[in-house]
Amino acid sequence: MTVNQSTQTSKISVRPAKRFPTIERLKEGWSVYKENLIGKIGLTLLVIFALMAVCSFFPPLIDPMYHPMTGVDPLITHSTGPSWRHWLGTDFIGRDILCQLLAGTRIAFMVGISAAFMSIFLGTVIGMIAGYAGKIADTLLMRLADMIMVMPTLLVVLILSSLFGQLNIWTIVLLIALFRWPGVSRVIRAQTLSLKERPFIEAAKVTGASHFRIIFRHIMPNVLPLSLLYMTFRVTSAIIIEAALAFLGFGDPSTVSWGMMLQWVWKTGHMFQAPYWLLPPGICISLLTLSFYMMGRAMEEVLDPRLRKEVAQE
Amino acid sequence: MEVRKFILKRFIEIFIIFFVILTVLFLLFRLAPGDPVTRMVDPTLTPEDSQYLIAQLGLDQPIGLQYLYYIKNFFTGNFGNSFHYGVTVSSIIWSRLPNTIILFTTSILLSAFVGIFLGKIASWQKGTKTDTWMTLGALVCHTLFLPWLAMLMIWIFGFKIGWFPLNGMISPKIWMDPSSGFWLKSLDVLHHMILPLATLFLIHFGSYLLLMRSSMLDTLKEDYILTARAKGLEEKTIRNKHAAPNAALPVVTSVGISLAFSLSGGALTETVFSWPGIGRELVFAVSNSDYPLAQGSFLLIAIVVLMANLVVDVLYAYLDPRIKY
Repeated sequence: MTVNQSTQTSKISVRPAKRFPTIERLKEGWSVYKENLIGKIGLTLLVIFALMAVCSFFPPLIDPMYHPMTGVDPLITHSTGPSWRHWLGTDFIGRDILCQLLAGTRIAFMVGISAAFMSIFLGTVIGMIAGYAGKIADTLLMRLADMIMVMPTLLVVLILSSLFGQLNIWTIVLLIALFRWPGVSRVIRAQTLSLKERPFIEAAKVTGASHFRIIFRHIMPNVLPLSLLYMTFRVTSAIIIEAALAFLGFGDPSTVSWGMMLQWVWKTGHMFQAPYWLLPPGICISLLTLSFYMMGRAMEEVLDPRLRKEVAQE
Repeated sequence: MEVRKFILKRFIEIFIIFFVILTVLFLLFRLAPGDPVTRMVDPTLTPEDSQYLIAQLGLDQPIGLQYLYYIKNFFTGNFGNSFHYGVTVSSIIWSRLPNTIILFTTSILLSAFVGIFLGKIASWQKGTKTDTWMTLGALVCHTLFLPWLAMLMIWIFGFKIGWFPLNGMISPKIWMDPSSGFWLKSLDVLHHMILPLATLFLIHFGSYLLLMRSSMLDTLKEDYILTARAKGLEEKTIRNKHAAPNAALPVVTSVGISLAFSLSGGALTETVFSWPGIGRELVFAVSNSDYPLAQGSFLLIAIVVLMANLVVDVLYAYLDPRIKY
């Protein structure tokens, strides 16, 4: 009896992890992730940009002329280079470029994360339903996915904005989400197809679980890591699409985004005279998308043990 | 025989997809706020002219008939008149299409070939400094913001150094001169094309490199590579003859998937470089509320994407004889 008890306690002390499997899995994932150079660079960049987004709230509090949209320096009437008053210079009507850059960071995060979240949500749900239901539902949903996938998202949103007038930032986010789910849903569907045949789903069916419960309680936890991975790539594409739209002059006119800043440089003809104005927004867009892309690639290694082994062998 | 059946099946599928796009566009033009007549007929036309156009486009008919008119007009190449240019949309589109296709195909082929070639080398030197730098470089190039890179290119190579023209596709001076021959004109176009081409190339080759690299690494674990090694073949032969052709297959598929992305990029490049292509025409039409031109150029871009997808599918069917359809 005592022997038995002691073995039991020792078992428990060896594996306390069973109580929080998710946290334990995250810890394990992190230990792989932090060994990855590309992942580390990506995360560092992300932290820098997150700090920039937080800092964007302060300049307008210091002086109203540092407001990214409406703040105009009364002493300046045209674009000027960097100075003590304006660290990155000013745009064509005397607005501070650094403040615009910081405000743009906030917009980029907002657009990227919300659009990616929505498209991942759509893609995951549709992929699971298609894979689990099979038959006609599968065929219809996947053909729809094929159809949306071949369309160039940017040009579709352009056409829509020509028909429905100026789009606001949330409509743009929604449109990006609506056109970017097919890639995710394909992957999730394939994963669901293989999960569906496993014994634990069989067991759930035998105990009388509803289809709804099987999909959301048994299949979803197993596809979520994959969805999360795709989310990083979707953030990248959402930021690029929004910036490109703004660059072409179809952004939300009430926001200051990096794409918008580039459009101002381009349209006001400062492209050749004002490198201090041309360079920062482009560098920011490129680096932020790079950071999400790098994190995605590092996460791929965490999720795919095959890739991980390769790294370990080196 | 099997392959032919597969191609036919894909062709029908693509045709259906196109029909759906055509229908959705029709519905969108009717659903959008405002009057569809003012959207398709230039408001500055005389009453007689606009009556004629309305009758031709079937805009005075009930909506079901309007749809039939719309389909008929599409297949006879009648997209209405452009508000801005005042000529038929189809004539504008036909003159722009070759320019887009030249830029688009060259950039895709060039970046795919270079990407596959470099990816092969990177995977072969896996873990070395060359590999790390190539992968990092590809990642950075792939995420550069396209319009910004285009502006940077113009600023550095067009404005500062002055090697290439700032924008456009031809220099009027050479083309107006009757004495300049075919070669001089082609050379002039090439000279204008280098910067947009380099921009598109830089953006696209990275993704092909990364894909080829990981695909190569997968292939190298296959048994037939081991066999080739056991036979005592040279490393170079194994790499180029045994591994690379198989590893390139997924890259071909990805070319198909990324076509839509490339066309968006193409439109941006054309706009920044003032390259007279369809993408630029679409952006221009949308900015100027030139609805017939926007509709026509969008449909044509859709056709280009779908056709290019078909080409990739056919290519794949011939490249991989193992696949059974």
